[in-house]
Amino acid sequence: MDVSTAVFAVSCTSTPTTGTRALQKKRQLNQFLAEIERRALRIAEIGVRDRDEALDLVQDAMIKLVRNYSERSNDEWTPLFYRILQNGVRDWHRRQAVRNRVMAWVGRKSSDENDYDPVATAPDPIGRTPDEELSNSEAMQGIEIAVRELPRRQREAFMLRMFEGLNVAGTAIAMGCSEGSVKTHYSRAVHSLRDTLDEHRPGDYRPQEGKR
Amino acid sequence: MNEQDDGFEKKVKAVFDTSVDDLDAATLSKLNRGRHEALEELEHARHQWSRWMPATGVAAAVLVAIVVLQSPSDVDDAFGPTTVTDIEILLGEDSIEMLEDLEFYSWIDAAEMESDVG
Repeated sequence: MDVSTAVFAVSCTSTPTTGTRALQKKRQLNQFLAEIERRALRIAEIGVRDRDEALDLVQDAMIKLVRNYSERSNDEWTPLFYRILQNGVRDWHRRQAVRNRVMAWVGRKSSDENDYDPVATAPDPIGRTPDEELSNSEAMQGIEIAVRELPRRQREAFMLRMFEGLNVAGTAIAMGCSEGSVKTHYSRAVHSLRDTLDEHRPGDYRPQEGKR
Repeated sequence: MNEQDDGFEKKVKAVFDTSVDDLDAATLSKLNRGRHEALEELEHARHQWSRWMPATGVAAAVLVAIVVLQSPSDVDDAFGPTTVTDIEILLGEDSIEMLEDLEFYSWIDAAEMESDVG
């Protein structure tokens, strides 16, 4: 083996090939999306009040993240993903507003408001008594209604910080605002929700021991 | 954030987490399918890039060939005498001094012209 062949052989073994890198990236993205998808779906569902629409929005966000930001570092994926998802939810509401105006104009009432039944879309029971399941379902229903009544920015800050567990910096990236604004929105949201849920406090519900 | 808020947040978070854990099998299956469809974009993007690679390579090669094979006379016309003169000016110490005092020399030039006229 001459020198040039030897150098080529060494370089081939020391650096991963393009195919290997792509496979590794795909594996990382798969793991990231698998970890985030269920919470993302529930957050989107609270935003749009429809599970199928939420599923579409989550998938769109996944596609956009993979297509545009897969080369970014893994730490950036969570805030970027939620930024895409929040934009998707916002666009969805704009489209709905236009659609509702058109429907009102042609004299037909949109059936979205009437079709949504939180009890019907409540999750199936998993290892809990019917009382516990009902208690949690009612508590979540109350929280969802209260969260929906928050101003948009407060709602976004609350869901990203509380439900997704993003830190202030990550939430700021996802919302496209300053960290100070995130703190303000979040604090106002928590106080507003506490007031709203005062009589409907989820304190009655006790998470099962050792479930989480 | 006081303790009351903290307790409230923990309870709300617990309720939310339970609702996430309670997602039914059909929904989880849809999520799984959606994720895999999204990951196919990675392959798609890679293939799209590799599809354009030969065309990009040919275009780059043609561009290089045009630059390399450009006739020497054209190059001379464009840069020849001027470039040589510039280099002479830049390399000669006297010339640099002259460049530093351009206003002085233009004044001499103007004064000579005036005297010729006068």
